[in-house]
Amino acid sequence: MARIEFKNIEKRFDDVVVIPGMDLVINDGEFVALLGPSGCGKSTSLFMLAGIYLPSGGDLLFDEHRVNEVEARDRNVGIVFQSYALYPHMTVRDNIRFPLRFKKVPDAEAKRRVREAAELVQVAELMNRRPSQLSGGQQQRVALARALVKDPQLLLLDEPLSNLDATLRLTMRTEIKALQERLGVTTILVTHDQLEATTMADRIICMREGEIEQIGSPDDLYLRPETLFVAGFIGSPPINILHGQVDSEKLRVGEAVAPLVGVGNGPFSIGLRPEHLEFGDSGVPARVIQTEPMGREILYVAESPLGLIRVLESGSQVNHRIGEETRIAFDPSNTLLFEEATGRRLDGAHFHLNTTARAA
Amino acid sequence: MAATTMNSMPSTGQSHWDRLAARARMQRRFSDVALYAFLIVVSLPIIVTYFWLLTLSFSAGRGEINTDVLWPSLFILTPALVALWIWGAVAKDRRQAFIGWGLILAGTIILYFSLLGDQLHLEGYRFLVDPDFNRLNESVVAGDKLSYSATAFPSVWVAFRNSLFVAGAQTVIVCTVASLAGYYISRFQFPLRNSMLRAMLVLHAFPTYTLVVPLFIILWYVGLLDSLVGVMLVLVGIELPFAVFIMKGFYDAVPWEVEMSALADGATRMQTYVRVVLPQVTNGLIAVTVFSFIRGWEEYIFMVTFLIKNTNWTMSLYMFFVTEENSLGIDFALVSAVAVFYVIPSLIMYTVAQKYLMQMSVSGVKG
Amino acid sequence: MRNRQITNYIVFLGPAGVIVLLFFVMPVLVDIGIAFTDMGRDLQVTKFTLRNFERAFTGDSRLPKVISLTFIYVFFTLAIFNVTFGLVLALTTTAIPKGGGFFRSVWLMPRMSPSVVYIVLWIWAVHGGEASLVNQIAMNVFGVEKPLDLLSNTPVMLIILSNGFIGASFGMIILTSAIRGIPDHLFYAAKADGAGSLSIVRHIVMPALRWPLTYITIWQTLSLLVSFEYIILLTGGGPFQDTTVYALYVYRRTFQSGQYAYGAALALFLIIPGILIAISAWRFTNMQQLLQRPRIEVQ
Repeated sequence: MARIEFKNIEKRFDDVVVIPGMDLVINDGEFVALLGPSGCGKSTSLFMLAGIYLPSGGDLLFDEHRVNEVEARDRNVGIVFQSYALYPHMTVRDNIRFPLRFKKVPDAEAKRRVREAAELVQVAELMNRRPSQLSGGQQQRVALARALVKDPQLLLLDEPLSNLDATLRLTMRTEIKALQERLGVTTILVTHDQLEATTMADRIICMREGEIEQIGSPDDLYLRPETLFVAGFIGSPPINILHGQVDSEKLRVGEAVAPLVGVGNGPFSIGLRPEHLEFGDSGVPARVIQTEPMGREILYVAESPLGLIRVLESGSQVNHRIGEETRIAFDPSNTLLFEEATGRRLDGAHFHLNTTARAA
Repeated sequence: MAATTMNSMPSTGQSHWDRLAARARMQRRFSDVALYAFLIVVSLPIIVTYFWLLTLSFSAGRGEINTDVLWPSLFILTPALVALWIWGAVAKDRRQAFIGWGLILAGTIILYFSLLGDQLHLEGYRFLVDPDFNRLNESVVAGDKLSYSATAFPSVWVAFRNSLFVAGAQTVIVCTVASLAGYYISRFQFPLRNSMLRAMLVLHAFPTYTLVVPLFIILWYVGLLDSLVGVMLVLVGIELPFAVFIMKGFYDAVPWEVEMSALADGATRMQTYVRVVLPQVTNGLIAVTVFSFIRGWEEYIFMVTFLIKNTNWTMSLYMFFVTEENSLGIDFALVSAVAVFYVIPSLIMYTVAQKYLMQMSVSGVKG
Repeated sequence: MRNRQITNYIVFLGPAGVIVLLFFVMPVLVDIGIAFTDMGRDLQVTKFTLRNFERAFTGDSRLPKVISLTFIYVFFTLAIFNVTFGLVLALTTTAIPKGGGFFRSVWLMPRMSPSVVYIVLWIWAVHGGEASLVNQIAMNVFGVEKPLDLLSNTPVMLIILSNGFIGASFGMIILTSAIRGIPDHLFYAAKADGAGSLSIVRHIVMPALRWPLTYITIWQTLSLLVSFEYIILLTGGGPFQDTTVYALYVYRRTFQSGQYAYGAALALFLIIPGILIAISAWRFTNMQQLLQRPRIEVQ
């Protein structure tokens, strides 16, 4: 098991800077997720940890030891790829055993460990098959066994679930999480799927264009996003972003005006989660223009003087018809305010947008 | 002393990881150096020999072939290349790199011409500007009474024109026929479709040089022996199966939906083929064009067997007979220049074709 | 409808069919026919006979030597260059971080050059005079006293080398694209699993090259067996008959000695194995995969 530290890690491919400088600490036994859109540098970070890419600058520390240039084979890191990367010409048994070839493990012990790893992920009865004879889920499990058989100090998962169908993904999510808790191995999951990250990881590192936007628990990211990007990336259906302007202690959004004290003048973005909004008798006037039943919830899209607003109501009954004139009420404690120039959230800047302004 | 060592290395783990890192660094460096050294050593004979041809075309004269310019050139250019490479690695930015390179190049050029300038000349390339090449050539072999071809050399432009005709006409026919047949085999169901494809597969692996004897007899019988048209047709036949196969592969990759929507828009199958499908296989057509052209341009065996008259000589025959004269008063600059002139179209076409080479499946075999 | 089908058949497939008949089927038939005649320098046939085959099997004292030379030439060229060195070039040029393309282009030069030019360079490089490249290096660098005459003394080595330089590039191209075809993730996985460069070559690359290597071996055996272009240009089959491989022997018998019927008979022994090996290529081909079922029924 290991404590991992990125100290100002930089990665360039020729002239292209993928990661300009990254600082990050991952504690021993922790399960963290690197979350971000494709191309944000999360897989690159993972490959540097595995010893596949060499960092262009900075220090990569395993338990306080610099490992920048240590070969992959000396790092004892297990990795599962999105494509599983099973060796097509080897049986399941040989695939799982492959890492032990290079560790000079005695034959009897190797056999035992292969069997144990296979049993751990429930592929013991598939030992003589080849990867092409396995289903996606089975390949996934074999890849996991291959990563675990060498008893790694660090387990890396590169989008391991994205090639599986929805139901299987759910099962594997639970299984991997349980496995990690049982083995206690430091684990890093790379994913672009927020649900995967929030359900599996203890801590989420949200990345964008090679830089860390925010590190925190799933709740932190959801309820207290530090940047506009995180707010927009986390949450489904996505957060409503309204654009406003602060002018002499007044926030204007569309035709609405609200008093806002303690911030400078300039453009601001307001983030409102659809589930924190509800239709009611007070609030911003709006007209329903679209309804999307989503099973246990209904998503409404309404047209308001502030722009299009998504509202999520629980229940399976459509209560508001298209064309209905209504009002949308805000919960001031769940309103997020972002400075547009920096994209950062202003802490504690709650305010009340109401309709009174409209008459004026 | 021992104490300080202990202090600077607080744990044995530290030195263990450092040792691993150092070993990895060593291995990486060593394996890269070894690989580059190996590749340079095995590639040098080819590079030097082709470079020799180039220096000869600018420097040689009659009499013995020589390496007088080759070695000094290598002594000047090799350090220059190394310097360019090192500077590229050392330079801090693009501007600095270009300035450095410019200086190194200018220095090299000045040094090169001041040392070797008086040995260099363009005499070899006279044939490009002097249309009366026969006269130039006569002067080459005039002194040699034994030379049976002394008066029989055609102008290099005759050979050039003949090669262009054979390669060009052959390419046009192969492209047309192959794109028709490839489309039909790829897209239509017809009796013997399977056998037709198999036939193409076998024929494209067929050792065509084994047919040189019967082809000679057939050409003689139909009166096409010693005729450019005859050779051209033989090459068409030989190139065709390969071309059909390549084209079929490219047609296979065209989505059916494109064709379906054209049909739904009211086009006939023929119109669909010409207007919609053909434009999508231009890469295939380019590949086939380049490969058949090169084949025709470079062919030697069929040319030497089926062509006799010197007015029918193609570039390969011209080049061959020029060199046959061998060291007896031959103008090596001229021969080298003709060789360079002959190689360049091939090199250009190969360079063009390179990216299409990768798109061709390896004869459609399973991997 | 039926008419349209016939028209299409003729328009699309007709020209190719005619060409194949004229240049493949007919020559093979003509060759078989001529093999049973006494056609000589005058290209006239006076009678049908089995004499050519009797001669090939019992009366031609040169044939055993020609055949054994052919095997030596094919085997060594294939083993040393087309397969082994092609593989080495593919592995090394894909292993280095930069410049692999440059080295591959260098090795493609011989293949790209017209055969006549390529062989002229060989002759100049190895001829017996002091000015040849080989002698310049041998005498100035290695201190050899008398110029070497490789063309007279080691002609078999030269034909293997000159064909091998061409053949190596064939293996190099096919194997390079096969190596490129291995997914990056397999290399990454193997690296993370602890495999070093040599283990990766052995456990990841070589298994993926099994089929391309088979393909190269079959294809190049066939092509070495029947091609004599570089040999006829480099040595003309000499000195004496020292480098006359079977295909060249057929050619010389036919066109230099004017024994057309005998040449046709000898050529049959190349044509038949040629067809057989080419047909054996079927076995490696998945016809189902090669032919899509047409999805448009309109003609």
